[in-house]
Amino acid sequence: MLLEIIFYIFASILICASLGVILFKNPVYSAVSLILAFITTGMLWLLLEAEFLAIVLVLVYVGAVMVLFLFVIMMLNIHQEEEKSGFTKIAPIAIFLGLVIAAELIALYWIQSDQFSGLESISNSSLSVDNTLLLGTELFTKYILSFEIAGFILLLAIIVSISLTLRTRKNVKKQIASDQIAADPKQRVRMVDIKRGGN
Amino acid sequence: MLSLQSYLTLSAIIFSIGITGIVINRKNIIIVMMCTELLLISVNFNFIAFSHFMQDLAGQIFVFFILTVAAAEAAIGLAILVALYRNKKSISVGDLNKLRN
Repeated sequence: MLLEIIFYIFASILICASLGVILFKNPVYSAVSLILAFITTGMLWLLLEAEFLAIVLVLVYVGAVMVLFLFVIMMLNIHQEEEKSGFTKIAPIAIFLGLVIAAELIALYWIQSDQFSGLESISNSSLSVDNTLLLGTELFTKYILSFEIAGFILLLAIIVSISLTLRTRKNVKKQIASDQIAADPKQRVRMVDIKRGGN
Repeated sequence: MLSLQSYLTLSAIIFSIGITGIVINRKNIIIVMMCTELLLISVNFNFIAFSHFMQDLAGQIFVFFILTVAAAEAAIGLAILVALYRNKKSISVGDLNKLRN
């Protein structure tokens, strides 16, 4: 009973927060609302006993991705006036589309409910194994290739995002390493015969 | 007792809110990217719910990889957005018809 109360409280917070993401005019409010949605999702994942992923969600998304979003929003300096336009014309179609998708999915789940009848919530807490250990064991044995590919994708993301946003100004006196390495010492020192003066 | 359907229903509601946000939004690409994050989170919700109710850890592994790829996608998307804003001084969806001609 307590579990259901917690679930419904967090579910309503999650729905309100995700509605706030699409309804706020100011993108900063949308980003903060999305942060609330992520934290609430983490709480709901704790109910489903996915403790490691819940913590990872809060750390990675709230700590890194949403901070990046907020930085970009504040860096771009969007004017408030031009945001008002273009919200009304397509809104009925969009709301209709969303309602149709939600109705289809929910009807599918509840009409076919006998498909789910065998699945029950079994708590792992009596088994005295922790979620992180199980997840790590699977990840480092069975899915090791995918894990390394994921690391490579992250490296790729670093390189791509730096190279996209890197901007080099002109007339900056900085070192160019390739020119320095390619320099030939024979061209740098020139021996000049100086006629000896004096007697 | 909480059934699997209640989790799936919540995930479906979040998914449809994300779809609505993508379609309704014609002014700001950042909001569209946030709605993409909402879609990803609802799909991850489905994975975790099935993983819990079927006692199978593969769902959580998949969520781990989806989180990785989503973080990379957000970083690259925001980098593209910054480069775009530098060139066009606008991030409106309606202004992005440069590729048309």
